[in-house]
Amino acid sequence: MKPILKSVTQSLSLRVLPTDRFKAGMLSLSAVLPITAETTPMTSLLLSVLLRGTEKYPTLEAINRRLDYLFGTELTIRNFYRGDAQVIGFSAELLDVAYLAGEDPTREILDVVDQILFHPLLDENGYLTEKYVESEKKLQCDSIRSIKNNPRVYAAERIRALLYEGQPCGVPAYGTEQAIMAITPEVLTAHWRNLVKNLTLDCFYIGSMDTDRLAEHLSATLGTSLTASHTAYPTVCSSVPLPKAPRTVSETIEAGQSHLLLAYRSSLTLNDARHAACMVFNEMLGASPVSRLFVYVREKLSLCYSCSSSYRPMKGTLQIACGLHRDNREVAEAEIKKQMEDLICGSFSDAELEAAKKSLRHFLRQSEDSPAALESFYYNRALTQNETTLDDLRRAIEAVTREDVTEVARAFSLHTVYFLEGTLNEEDDVDEED
Amino acid sequence: MKKTEFSSALLRERYIKFTHPSGLPIYVFPKKMTTTFAYFAVRYGSQNCEWVDASGNPMRDPDGVAHFLEHKLFENEDGSDAFARFSELGADANAYTSYDRTAYLCSCTENVEDVLAELLHFVTHPHFTDASVKKEQGIIAEEIRMYEDNPWERCYQNLLKLLYRKHPVRKNICGTQSSIRKITPELLYACYNRFYAPENMVLIVCGDVAPETVLAVVDRALPQEFLLRRATGLRVPRETGAVAGSYAEISMPISKPIYAIGIKDGVLGGTPNERLRLELCHAMLDEILFSRSGHFYNDLFERGILTPSYSSGYSVGDGFSFYSLEGEADDPQAVLDELKSYLASVCKNGIADEDFERARRVLYADEVCTYDSTEEIATRLLTFAFEGTELFSCPALLQKISKKELEELLRATVFENRFSLSVVLPSESH
Repeated sequence: MKPILKSVTQSLSLRVLPTDRFKAGMLSLSAVLPITAETTPMTSLLLSVLLRGTEKYPTLEAINRRLDYLFGTELTIRNFYRGDAQVIGFSAELLDVAYLAGEDPTREILDVVDQILFHPLLDENGYLTEKYVESEKKLQCDSIRSIKNNPRVYAAERIRALLYEGQPCGVPAYGTEQAIMAITPEVLTAHWRNLVKNLTLDCFYIGSMDTDRLAEHLSATLGTSLTASHTAYPTVCSSVPLPKAPRTVSETIEAGQSHLLLAYRSSLTLNDARHAACMVFNEMLGASPVSRLFVYVREKLSLCYSCSSSYRPMKGTLQIACGLHRDNREVAEAEIKKQMEDLICGSFSDAELEAAKKSLRHFLRQSEDSPAALESFYYNRALTQNETTLDDLRRAIEAVTREDVTEVARAFSLHTVYFLEGTLNEEDDVDEED
Repeated sequence: MKKTEFSSALLRERYIKFTHPSGLPIYVFPKKMTTTFAYFAVRYGSQNCEWVDASGNPMRDPDGVAHFLEHKLFENEDGSDAFARFSELGADANAYTSYDRTAYLCSCTENVEDVLAELLHFVTHPHFTDASVKKEQGIIAEEIRMYEDNPWERCYQNLLKLLYRKHPVRKNICGTQSSIRKITPELLYACYNRFYAPENMVLIVCGDVAPETVLAVVDRALPQEFLLRRATGLRVPRETGAVAGSYAEISMPISKPIYAIGIKDGVLGGTPNERLRLELCHAMLDEILFSRSGHFYNDLFERGILTPSYSSGYSVGDGFSFYSLEGEADDPQAVLDELKSYLASVCKNGIADEDFERARRVLYADEVCTYDSTEEIATRLLTFAFEGTELFSCPALLQKISKKELEELLRATVFENRFSLSVVLPSESH
């Protein structure tokens, strides 16, 4: 199974994975933009403003009601980073016509997307509606401030900023309050005009709809609005430079639980031949309930409820996160480093290696059952001009040896240790005797 | 063995229900997908820390014991844990505890028979020791801290305490730091023996698997001792009427106030099918009144009273049901006041035809989409199995429900003394 690429127009590509496995297919529409401190937060703001109202559907309510009427279609906004690029766009589940008594709402849904991107509600001077711009600026500032509401989320955000400092993906997607508040409707409108003038879209569809028919719908709707030509994507994969020495940053927060995070860097990104070995290594270290971090830090030492690792192939980084009591910080950090060291030295059993490979095989096979997982897998690969299929990756994982694991483990060096200390002292709770 | 088959021409799906001679209901939903998903679940959740002894006396266990038991069942007699065995089979396992159930689940893409056998094995072989209980106390203590640091969790937890005076749904599923310290191996065995019995449990399997295969695994894997068990002491607490309190607030280091509004409903009565119909009616009302396409959200959003961090839902469990609306707002009291006046106007003027049709379409699409995932199918089937209702009756019921029925139900649900507002305010230092 491999996506088929079709070019609908110069500015609109269509990749299709035809399957009749699902009652609802998935359609995604994405644009890839370079990340800059000036434009990226503005693009985030723009997306929210565009969703507030269009010429045909002047309010958020009108847009949502139209989509509900089109069989509860939910347009999910895409606004995320893939490596050093920002991906924006929409995705939607599309019910198979067999369940819609003959109605096919695809063209109408694409028409709503066309309205949102190309026909937003403008005032008499041709600017984006001031009321919507001001309201969304305030909401975006709320989002920036609310990161601190949940210590876990805040700690993850802090280590991301420390690890990717100076890199495109180190720019916060929502920007700073000051920069957001300075954006005027005029500035945002100019940004919108520039963005749509250069916009090219990649459409990805997984489902049973006839491909020619879908191409026809796309070209009759978005195809008429898009004018640019596809150019090369901005650089997506790049690694984090090796620091002179790992740094340790400690901060405090008014919370009961503390958070210890360790970030490692390597030059092993998605297109490296050792990608599969990196996945196996991460799986063994901390990505499952039989992984080292779960078994030793949680189960054997009873230090925490969660301790896990995650590997970010676009940047070749690995992060470990552990929520624990502040008194246990040193023991946990030593144990985490010891587990990492054991994998580097090859002091692990063949059974552990096999378990990790089986777990990944299960994960990849499960992806076949999920349009969203398939889309994510193949879209990431399209972004990086990588031809690997799910089957290829499965085979590569099978072939990983213990030497491969120790080799990639060695390639990850500690970049930053971040400790967010919860300063609250626990009051002994009293059981209610009602 | 009793066998009933259900099918739906509309959805093009079927499933079979068996009742094992031991009393264990077994549901098999054949589905040509790569992943097989299974639940082995017991009708025993956090709210069953209150139970009755053989003489009918009310008894009480420390809060959080069902959840603690869930964690500990993964430990085997030889010191290994069940995760390791699933991992050897290339499968995933997990579990969760809710107010009225504990569910053990697994998914696999190969070795289906062995994986199912392992699921049945570990849940029916409890093994608790002092050392392992003590170790788990450290892990669960951190789990509790994690939830306590989350303002949304705290806000919701406080809402339940406002809505319910007595019903144990008001208590934290994990228990408290002090209640979990009271848990011993003996207590865990006692709770296990009281509730983990075939007729109080259910097995659900959805995937590319033949019913006969599942039945053969059940016969092979369930120990004789387990098959003879009977559950005792189950008590379904019920609470209706006025809320326990209308307002509560706490402070946390957050940037904007967080609110949770609850509207306490009665206990859904009648036959299982009548309850299902009522539940669907409430789901439609939730969509009509409180969704992001509804007038309430959009009016308040455009006026800057509500923000997009907003959600709503109708929750129903053993002996309780309520609506909840959660989000961030500078003035949570204003949200509540607006909500009350909005509901008063809908009660008076009725529901718009357009809203009714919209809700029907949204719920229908949700219903169809459920059948694309073996996990979602199994999860829904689990709820229906415990409720004693039939999964495929939903699409037809959605067509039968009338606007008038919804309007009458709404008028019978909204009363002044059923509203509670829980708020988390930014602490001054922030």
